[in-house]
Amino acid sequence: MLGAILVSVFIIIAMVGFLLLSVYRAWRFKRLPVHSRLEIYPIPKEGAERAKYGGSYLEEPEWWHKPRRIDKLNELLDMLQEMIFIRKLFEKQRSLWWASYCFHLGVYAMFVWTIALIVNVAASPPWLYWITVAVGAAGFALTTLGSFLLLVRRIVDPSMRKYTTPQEYFNLVLIFCVLVTGIASWSGFASPFVVAASVLGGGGQTFAAVVYLHLVLLGLMLIYIPMSKMSHYVGKYFAFHKVLWDNDPNLADSEVRRKIKELEAHKPKTVWVAPHVNPVKPVEEPKQ
Amino acid sequence: MTNTKIAPRDISLKTDLLSPIADLAPLPAPYSADGMEPPFKQPKPEWAEEHCASLDGFIALDGLRRPETKEDEDEFVRRFIGGLAKSFADSNNSFLEPLQLTMDYCAKCNTCSEACHIFKSSGEQEIYRPIFRSDVLRKIYRRYFTPSGRLLGGFVGADIDINWESIARLGELAYRCNLCRRCAQTCPLALDNGMLTREIRKIFSQEMGIAPTPIHAKGSMRQLETGSSTGITKPALIDTLEFIAEETEETCGRKIEFPIDKQGADILLIHNAGEYMAWPENPAAFAILFEEAGLDWTLSSDMIGYDSVNYGIWYDDTQARKVAMQQIKAAEKLGVRRIVVGECGHAHKALALSADRMVSERNIPVESCLPLLAEMVSSGRLKLDPSKNDFPVTLHDPCNVVRQMGIVKPQRDILKAICPQFREMMPHGVDNYCCGGGSGFAIMNSYNFKDFRNKVSGRMKFTQIVKAFGEQFTDPGIVKYVCAPCSNCKGTIRDLFEFFETTKKFNVHYGGLVELMVNALVSMNRPFLDFAATA
Repeated sequence: MLGAILVSVFIIIAMVGFLLLSVYRAWRFKRLPVHSRLEIYPIPKEGAERAKYGGSYLEEPEWWHKPRRIDKLNELLDMLQEMIFIRKLFEKQRSLWWASYCFHLGVYAMFVWTIALIVNVAASPPWLYWITVAVGAAGFALTTLGSFLLLVRRIVDPSMRKYTTPQEYFNLVLIFCVLVTGIASWSGFASPFVVAASVLGGGGQTFAAVVYLHLVLLGLMLIYIPMSKMSHYVGKYFAFHKVLWDNDPNLADSEVRRKIKELEAHKPKTVWVAPHVNPVKPVEEPKQ
Repeated sequence: MTNTKIAPRDISLKTDLLSPIADLAPLPAPYSADGMEPPFKQPKPEWAEEHCASLDGFIALDGLRRPETKEDEDEFVRRFIGGLAKSFADSNNSFLEPLQLTMDYCAKCNTCSEACHIFKSSGEQEIYRPIFRSDVLRKIYRRYFTPSGRLLGGFVGADIDINWESIARLGELAYRCNLCRRCAQTCPLALDNGMLTREIRKIFSQEMGIAPTPIHAKGSMRQLETGSSTGITKPALIDTLEFIAEETEETCGRKIEFPIDKQGADILLIHNAGEYMAWPENPAAFAILFEEAGLDWTLSSDMIGYDSVNYGIWYDDTQARKVAMQQIKAAEKLGVRRIVVGECGHAHKALALSADRMVSERNIPVESCLPLLAEMVSSGRLKLDPSKNDFPVTLHDPCNVVRQMGIVKPQRDILKAICPQFREMMPHGVDNYCCGGGSGFAIMNSYNFKDFRNKVSGRMKFTQIVKAFGEQFTDPGIVKYVCAPCSNCKGTIRDLFEFFETTKKFNVHYGGLVELMVNALVSMNRPFLDFAATA
C-alpha cells in the first residue's frame, strides 16, 4: 500500500516537474542577451506572398520609412505546419520523416490521452470513454513504432550511427521501454482509467508489478526529458522565432534598441586576449 | 581508414593526412571529358613541417605555425580551451543564444549534409559534413565544460582526445565552410552549423591571434591601418577615381564625375574598394546610373568610409565592430541621410545586419543598392533598351544578400526588364548555392588553397553556371553573361573561369548588375560592355 502511494505521489511530482523544468529551460533561453542578427529567409512573418520566395522588408527602397507589415497569422500557420506535420523534415529528408512523424504524432496523441484520462477521472463524460481508448491506442501504437523505427534507423544508417552517442540510444531505449511496459500494463493487467483514478486519488489501490514499473519509468522519463536534448520542443521555438526569424531592425523606440541599451549598461567581465583585440596603441589616421 | 569511415573523434588520429581529397562529384559536359579539369597542385612536404597540413592537405591558416616545444603545444591547447570557455561567457553576448541552441539540440539527422555544396562537391567526404566539425567542438565542450561530460565521458559523447594536431585540424576545418548557412536554412530544428563554424574561427582569432593572412593581417588589420583592405589611401583613391573617369570617357564616350565628400548628400554610396582596382567599370556604372537618375549622392574619402568590406564578419567580432563603427562615423561626418551599399554581399550583411545591433544608437539607415536600382528602372527614370543586352544572361545570388537578407526580387525585376534572354540557375533565390568564395575563400590564395576553392567549394556553382546556359554553353559564337552583384562572388567566378578556361573556350563572361544596366541605357552611344576585350 505504501509503495502504491509513493508511486502515485512520484508520478504526480514527475508530471508537474516536467512542466516546471520545461518552463525553466525556456526561461533560461529567454533571459539570454539580444543577439546579433542571424536571420535566414524565408521568414513567414514577412507575409505569405514574400515568404513564398523568401523576400523581406529590405527589398523596399528606404525601408525604414515604410510601415512594417508583420503577418502574425502566416507565422502561426507556418509554425503549426511545422509542429503538426514536421514539414521541414518532410521536404528535406522524407525517409527519416516517416519514422519521426510517426513518433511525434504519437506523442501528441499521448498528451491528448493523458488529458482525456484526467477529464474522465474528474467528470466521467460517457462520450469521452471510447475517444480516450482510441486516442490512447493510436498514441501507443504510433510512438512505439516510431521510436523503434528511429532506433533502427540510427543503428543501420552509417552516417547517423557515427554521430549518435550512447546517451542518444539510451533516450530512445528509455522511451521504448516506457511504451512497452505501458502496453503490457494496459492490455493485460489494469485499466488506465482505474489507475489514473487511483493515482489522482492518492494511490488507494494496488496493481500488478508491471504497472508500477511502467509508472516509475514514465516518471523518470518525464523528469529526464526537460534536462536532456529531448527538450527540443523548447529549443525549436527559440531557434526559429528568436534567431532565424528575428529580423527586427534597431530603430528608435524599438524593443531591439531597448534590449541593446540594457546590454550596453553591463560591461562584460570576460575579455578576449589576442593582441589585436585590445591594442596598446589606438588605431590612428594614416599619414597622408 | 577510408575517408567515409572517419568519425569526429578521429580528428586526433596520429596520421600525416587524415582525409586526402579523393573522388570529387562529376562535372557536367563539356567538363566531364578527360583533360578538361586541371589536376590539384601537389602539396610540398615542407609545408607540413611548418603548418597543419594533416587534415586534407590544404592550408588555409597560414599564420598557424607548428610549435617547437612541448610547452608551446600545451599552451596552444590551453588557449583554445580558454577561448571556448569565453564563447559561452558574456564576452560573446551577441552569439550566446544561437550558440547554446546549436550546441544543445542537434539531432544528428544529417539533413544539413544534403544542403552543403562543399560536402556534395567533395564526393561526400566525411570531414566536410556540416555536423562533423560541430560535433568535434561539441565533444570538446562536453568534455571540458559540462558536468555530464566530466562524469559520464563517452556515454554523452565527450570521447575525444585533444592535442595540438586535433585543435589545429579543427582550426583548418573551420576554413572548409563558406558560412553560406544553407545548412541552417534546411535544419528541421533551425540550428546553425555555419554560425558554429564561425565561432571556431573566432576562438582562433580573438583568443589565439590566429587567422588567415589575407583576411586578417592583409585584410581587416590593413583596413584599420590604411583605410582599405586593398591598401588604397585617400590620395590613391582620388587618383584612382580620376583615372576611372578618364578611362570611361575614353572607352565609351561618357563623361562622369564622382562626387566626393559632399556634405549633407542624400546618399553615401560605399563600394567594396576591390572594385576600384579589379572592376573599375562597376563604380563607373554606378556613377552613370546615379547621375542619369538625378540622385543626390556622394562617396567618402574618409578613413574606411570608402571601403565597404568588413572581413571581421567572417572570423572576428572585434574586428567587425571596429570597421563598422568607422564606416558609420564616416557617414555621420558627412551628414548623409542614408548609406547605400554597392554590389558587395558580405558588406551588405556587415553594415545592414551585423552592425545593426552592435550599438544602440544607429541614426543613419543602411540599405542595399538593389531596391534603389530596381526603383530607378520601374519608375522610368532610366531609359533602357533591352535589345542592347540580347544575349543569354544568368544570375548568381550572393548568399549574404539573398538567403541572409531576403533581397530576392529587385535584381530579378531589373534583369527581366533589361535582358531578354535572362534565365535562372537551379536552384536560385534563397535556395541558391554559394559561389565557393564566401567567408574569405575568394581572397585566400596561400599555398594550395586556391585549388580547394576552384575544384571543391566553387564546383557546385560552376556546375550551375554550365547547366544554366544549356546547349548554348559550348557555342563560342554566343556571348554569355553571369551576373554576380557581389565583389567576392565576382572574384571567385573570375578565378573559376580562368581555371577552367571558360571565357577563352566558350565565351562565357561575368560581371555585375549595374554594368548590364548601363549597357542597356538608351543614352549610351557606345556599348559599355566590351566582351572582345575580356575574351
